[in-house]
Amino acid sequence: MVDVPIPETTRIRVEGPWIVRLRRFAEITRRVLRNPTTLAGLLIIVALLSLAILAPVLTEPNVPDPYQMPRDWGARDAPPGTPGHPLGTTSTGGDVFYGVLWGARTSLQLSVIVVGITVTVGTIVGSLAGFIGGKLDEILMRTVDILLAIPELIFALAIAAVLGPSFGNIIFALSVVFWVKYARIIRGQIIHVKQNEYVDAARVIGDSKLKIYLKDVLPNSITPVIVQATMDMGGIVLTAATLSFIGLSEAGLAEWGVLVSDGQAGISAGKWWASTFPGLMVFLWALGFNLVGDGMRDVLDPRTESR
Amino acid sequence: MQIREYLIRRLMIFPLIIVGTSIIVFVLSRVGGNPVGIYLEHEMSAEEVAQLEERYGLNEPLPVQYFAWARGVLTGDMGWSGVSAQPVTEALIDRIGATLELAIFAAIVAITLGVGLGTFGGARRDRWPDHMTRVLSISGASMPIFWFAILLLIVFWVNLGWFSTGRSDPTIFESIPHPTNIYTLDAILAGNFKALLDALHHLILPSVTLGFGATAIIARMMRSSLVEELNEDYVDAARAKGLPERLVLRRHARRNALIPTVTVIGLGFGFLLQGTVVVEIIFRWPGLGRWMADAVLRGDQATIMAYVLFTSVLFLTVNLVVDIMYAYLDRRVVLGA
Repeated sequence: MVDVPIPETTRIRVEGPWIVRLRRFAEITRRVLRNPTTLAGLLIIVALLSLAILAPVLTEPNVPDPYQMPRDWGARDAPPGTPGHPLGTTSTGGDVFYGVLWGARTSLQLSVIVVGITVTVGTIVGSLAGFIGGKLDEILMRTVDILLAIPELIFALAIAAVLGPSFGNIIFALSVVFWVKYARIIRGQIIHVKQNEYVDAARVIGDSKLKIYLKDVLPNSITPVIVQATMDMGGIVLTAATLSFIGLSEAGLAEWGVLVSDGQAGISAGKWWASTFPGLMVFLWALGFNLVGDGMRDVLDPRTESR
Repeated sequence: MQIREYLIRRLMIFPLIIVGTSIIVFVLSRVGGNPVGIYLEHEMSAEEVAQLEERYGLNEPLPVQYFAWARGVLTGDMGWSGVSAQPVTEALIDRIGATLELAIFAAIVAITLGVGLGTFGGARRDRWPDHMTRVLSISGASMPIFWFAILLLIVFWVNLGWFSTGRSDPTIFESIPHPTNIYTLDAILAGNFKALLDALHHLILPSVTLGFGATAIIARMMRSSLVEELNEDYVDAARAKGLPERLVLRRHARRNALIPTVTVIGLGFGFLLQGTVVVEIIFRWPGLGRWMADAVLRGDQATIMAYVLFTSVLFLTVNLVVDIMYAYLDRRVVLGA
């Protein structure tokens, strides 16, 4: 038998799936960041996360609970620039600078917890409905329809109201309200992806249902969920701050909505700072994540853009 | 699917969703504890409490209580509103005009700004005006309404003194009758120009605050559908026959781009409804939103239940109407998918 050498050009280089994924990720990141507004959003997020991480370094943590505003009763309603209170104080002597920084920490925890819970629950419910289908799909989706009938903020407001004012209840209320969207998104995606030939191919070679779901269906359905989750990182903080502003958090918590509410009474007397700075933080937080989420959607999921 | 089939399906599901929503609202009210709480006084004995529970049917099984409540809602009896010290139905009717007026003016702001910004950006795709309008409309969606309202008050009320809070000037309010409780309409009916100006003057800040947030939703949709329309052949045809670009945009592309934009009206309406809660607190606007906020803080369950149910039914109805409108406007849509 003659050994025929394979010409260099016909040799196929097989790369591991992780290298392919990494390459794709790098390419997508490059395309996402090409948009100047997305880049701006990313810079805002990085700046705010740095504030959250550096809060214990930049301010002295309040004891025993650092998430409780420290009170300086000797300097109430101090304007910005007062020594020791660069952004001024509230009418109860709370340091606005402290609240702004620790509020970023509160927001980071809040958004990570709620996005984590809602994406998980939403993905599980949406997957069951979309992948299994039939009667289960019908029941789950009618439930989703009903839950979506109540406007988000009002639903969260009602849940937090019956449970009583506390930040923990706000987290719970937001988790109950926000998972529904994910269930609907992932179900729609899965029904679409299920029809692809590669799913049939996997079935033909005898892959189990679970394997098909985990290897072929879920990874190809998850993109819009990632986009939505990015935007919700901002939207959740915005909604939580609104509920806190209305009065559903504990008083004295280092949270932006609580601070804006504390400062509201003083504005007619010209004390603008106590509401302005914390509110600006909520705005920037939501803006950063919305800009990045929007930019990601343009690149990853052009279809929803025109839906 | 045919339009008729689609409509029948939608109309059949509609009451089911409303019943589902009402069950959620009912369950929610029972999660917060026994509603007998608001009737209790310190010196009551266990026997008296039991009597109260008996009187309001609170010792019945939950499904029975639900049906009793649902029957009440259907006959216009939604209980007693503690925060406004009057029957819930009456309180609702008293306040709906204020909220409706605010929402209508906010919608005018949102639609005007949204269609304007969306057209401006979409016609200049990927150039800096497009980026600017994108940032502006995303800013609207990211803006905490409560903060924006306070900023406007700091500038225009505290520092410039141009506007004030509330719905009207007390002396002007007393000078005309208020049959509809929509002050601009009341002023027109009374033929009182000064009252009309006063009502509009008080509406400006709250409706701009509320409308700015919803602008984003409309602007984004308008922009992307305009970008799509501008790629269509009929636009090239219009240009080829020598129509100036301005008219191509106005007469052809923008008109067609408005059709898909209709679909986000429902979304925008939901946004406005939620926003009224905060806007009404800050601008001291005596509407449904502030009523709800008061009820939330004082744990007034009857009011909370009525408000949530009412806004949900309103929201669902608007969405149904929008879907039907869209089905007729654009026959190409694959219905029921």
